[in-house]
Amino acid sequence: MATMTSPTHAKTSAEHEPSTVARRRHRTGWLFVIPFLAVFLLFLIIPLAYALWTSLFTSTLASGTEFTGLDNYAKAFTDPIFLEGMGRVGLFALVMIPLQIGVALLAALVLDTLATRLSQASRLLIFAPYAIPVVIGALMWSFLYSPSFGPASTLFDAFGLQAPEFLSTNLIFGSLVNIVTWQWSGYYMIVIYAGLRAINPSIYEAARVDGASGRQIALRIKVPMISSSMVMVLIFAIIGTLQFFTEPVVLRNVAPGVIDAAYTPNMYAYALAFQYSQFNYASTIAFSLGVLVFIGSYLFLYLTRKQSGLNR
Amino acid sequence: MTLSTASSSLRKRRKSTEHVDHHVGGGRRIGSHALLIILAIYFIVPLWWLLVSSTKSTSSLFSSAPLWFDHPADFIENVQGLFTHQGGIYWRWLGNSFFYALTGGIGATVLAILAGYGFAKYRFSGRGWVFGLILGSVMVPLTALVVPTFLLLSNVGLINTPWAVILPSLLSPFGVYLMRVYTQDAVPDEMLEAARIDGAGEFRTFVQVALPMMKPAVVTVLLLSVVATWNNFFLPLAMLNDPNLLPVTVGLNNWTKLSSTGAGGEQVWNLVTSGAFISVLPLLLSFLFLQRYWQGGLAIGSVK
Amino acid sequence: MNTKFFAALGVAALGAVTLTACSGNDSAEACTNKIVNKDATQVSVWAWYPAFEPVVDLFNQTHDDVQVCWTDAGVGDDEYSKFSTAIEAGSGAPDVIMLEAEVLPSFSIRDALVDLTAYGASDVAGDYPDGAWSDVKSGDAVYAIPVDGGPMGMLYRKDIFDKYGIAVPTTWAEFADAAQALKDAGAPGVLTDFPTNRRAYNQALFAQAGSAPFVYDSADPQTISIEVNDQGSKDVLAYWADLVDRGLVATDDASTADYNTKMVDGTYAVYVAAAWGPGYLSELSGADATAEWRAAPVPQWDADNPVQINWGGSAFAVTSQASDKDAAAIVAKEIFGTEEAWKIGIEEAALFPLWKPILESDYFANLEYPFFDGQQINKDVFLAAAAGYEGFTFSPFQNYAYDQLTEELSAVTRGEKSSDQALDDLQDTLVQYANDQGFTVN
Repeated sequence: MATMTSPTHAKTSAEHEPSTVARRRHRTGWLFVIPFLAVFLLFLIIPLAYALWTSLFTSTLASGTEFTGLDNYAKAFTDPIFLEGMGRVGLFALVMIPLQIGVALLAALVLDTLATRLSQASRLLIFAPYAIPVVIGALMWSFLYSPSFGPASTLFDAFGLQAPEFLSTNLIFGSLVNIVTWQWSGYYMIVIYAGLRAINPSIYEAARVDGASGRQIALRIKVPMISSSMVMVLIFAIIGTLQFFTEPVVLRNVAPGVIDAAYTPNMYAYALAFQYSQFNYASTIAFSLGVLVFIGSYLFLYLTRKQSGLNR
Repeated sequence: MTLSTASSSLRKRRKSTEHVDHHVGGGRRIGSHALLIILAIYFIVPLWWLLVSSTKSTSSLFSSAPLWFDHPADFIENVQGLFTHQGGIYWRWLGNSFFYALTGGIGATVLAILAGYGFAKYRFSGRGWVFGLILGSVMVPLTALVVPTFLLLSNVGLINTPWAVILPSLLSPFGVYLMRVYTQDAVPDEMLEAARIDGAGEFRTFVQVALPMMKPAVVTVLLLSVVATWNNFFLPLAMLNDPNLLPVTVGLNNWTKLSSTGAGGEQVWNLVTSGAFISVLPLLLSFLFLQRYWQGGLAIGSVK
Repeated sequence: MNTKFFAALGVAALGAVTLTACSGNDSAEACTNKIVNKDATQVSVWAWYPAFEPVVDLFNQTHDDVQVCWTDAGVGDDEYSKFSTAIEAGSGAPDVIMLEAEVLPSFSIRDALVDLTAYGASDVAGDYPDGAWSDVKSGDAVYAIPVDGGPMGMLYRKDIFDKYGIAVPTTWAEFADAAQALKDAGAPGVLTDFPTNRRAYNQALFAQAGSAPFVYDSADPQTISIEVNDQGSKDVLAYWADLVDRGLVATDDASTADYNTKMVDGTYAVYVAAAWGPGYLSELSGADATAEWRAAPVPQWDADNPVQINWGGSAFAVTSQASDKDAAAIVAKEIFGTEEAWKIGIEEAALFPLWKPILESDYFANLEYPFFDGQQINKDVFLAAAAGYEGFTFSPFQNYAYDQLTEELSAVTRGEKSSDQALDDLQDTLVQYANDQGFTVN
């Protein structure tokens, strides 16, 4: 990706410094990093280590706690509830991510070619849902999805059609996809849009001179040039989707028969800990989820290593 | 000088493309605008619903047409309700959200700035894997951390205090990543060298030379952290019991639960909708007025 | 850019800090109510009753040596999650906590609750009906003091019944006939809703047919008997599955905005409710001025042998983390132990008292409810229901059991399973779970 100034002089200045002094100076880097690392250690590493430790024990309601090593993990990876949940979030990822990115990309490309007041206003409106806390967003949608109460029935009646039951088993998947798309597409759009804005316009000129149409420019030039930011956006989307939690939890309040307590693995871990008081197994599920997320992300990064430019 | 800041040159570039693109053909413009309008409507309908609902009383919420007003004057009653229900605790919640978001957000940004600069400009041994560890941490599901964090904070007596929410919010691995990436490219080593040769210490060099050049990324990380902490739900839900300490997200959720429960409940749907509406205004308005910073800042993520 | 932006930021920060200036006083005991006697022992209480603050104030004004420090730590499961985590952490739990009877075994098995027999529970045992008292006991141990209950009755729309010529059913057979008659008469709605997510409600319906699924005594905490697929439950579920199949009842999830709308607009003509149902209903129904609700006894399977059932209700338990258990016990026993407190509870929080001096008073029996056009619903319906209720035993993993029940019931209403199959599957799941948890299952 094009950058402003490339620090080519770095090597020369380092050459002037004797290596011991240089190394000592570089070690001061630790001082800058330590404040963050302290909090990181306290609120991530230590709790994580504790959770890992907990997952190696089994505690039953009737009897006490005992060390069981990796038994919990064997149980988790053969647990049909966990596996079903994993499959479900995998499916969500396959459907939701292309949709969000697709909407975001389309909107960003369109906005990139327009500079009117309307486009500026749209940009803000599309981004607005990002400002809404997920809890409130899901609450709003739970009202809107309501068959007798939401606007869907009036809307569909106008066309003489039956309004779909958004909260039924068949459609709940799509309904959840919709909420997430609504919430996050704007954010992704802004990131992609910013990337598009950073492209040197002279490239477009050259392409137009060669006779390229608007669509060809979009697909053949713009998209490839922002591929690295797309990869970054995608990796966070994947991680977020595999850890799908808040929206189904909130929507569960209005569709408890359809969304069960273990609908996603993250929800399963939460239910185990907070509703069934099975803290050990809850940690196990959470860790198993983390492992699978890690594998998934690593795989994805490996497959897109050329596009992302993360080889440095 | 050749050392223009990244953001100003970005802005220059944007203006130039805007100037060029006015030559887009007429038909395509209409199509593009139509698409934008459709998208904008899709994204705005729920917010419109929220606005309309906040002007309704509980019974009219369930009996009137959802997307149009019924008796707009009810909004005044709703706001009065927000002042009187449970002693006006709603405004306390709103204040708490501001407080947590700003302290958490600013704190997270400070830590991210320092760490990002450290990773970017110093080559210390272990830098690679520590940074990798930090990046990898976004993959850890929050549910794994809540109970241990609760145990940790409970042992030092910080449960049910603002610290229980603020301290964990100081972690922004993505912020560290953004700051590092930006600083690496935007702060030239020669300037740092020059300052060192002039006799400035590392920290002074950082503050006086590097920091001014890092501003666009600072603003981005600040805004992202503030939004994230403002919207935080699960953490305060787990860590706080005292209703006076709750942020508005958890508070409204409590009221929703109260309205949904059978025994011992109270129907306060009108307060939930009007409270939700008012609570999204600060962020929405700040989005509107701080647009420039969003545009400039989020470019950082893509400019690698 | 700099000055204006950071100035705005500074102003916002200043504003936020001022707004929350009071919260800086974050002492460990941050009470929502005021403490009257500052030198007295403070007892922390978690409860979510509406209009609870006047009740707390009343207690604080009348007790010199004990003061209540109350916070609302969440409703239902939210509060239970916090409590559960606090137990696990070993600190953070209140001294006294409001719990529904259905979760008492889940917490007593984790040694989170104090057995109140050593703290004068027997002194107040006579103040509560037998059924209610047995709900807070496990074997000989008493884990909580009852507060309010949910004896069940049937609330129906008199105007709809009159319009379509439906007689008020007294048995479930008549109920099914009424449902059919309503449909035949061309009514736009249905007789009632069968919600799969109303866990305790469904359990109560089964109990009415004689189901006693769990046998559990905290004196022998590792043994449990489970029978959820008894014939009584199967009959009840088959009955409702049949009504669902014939389209005579709805299957909407309860307590949602959608459900509330249907309550208000007459889509459901009947609400089989607990005694706190009227409170819930009256707050929702402001809009429809033509609706006329009345209360009648809950339908019976056998008119000659009526069985009363209960849905919900709560009690105060003393937690094992209470620093002064005597003081905590005093609070649990006395906070809802006066007429004055109950006047508030009844009139402002629409609670159904289990405290006999009020429960059996003329005041309560003769209370006319304007929402029911002045009907004395306690005398007509709920007093008999409360008196006849014999209690119920819950499992120590009730939350899990309920979640599984909801899933099985949803499978039935979606037509995926027969009702018998669903209960058999539920039996298998729960037995499996109990075994996994180290119980000896009989």
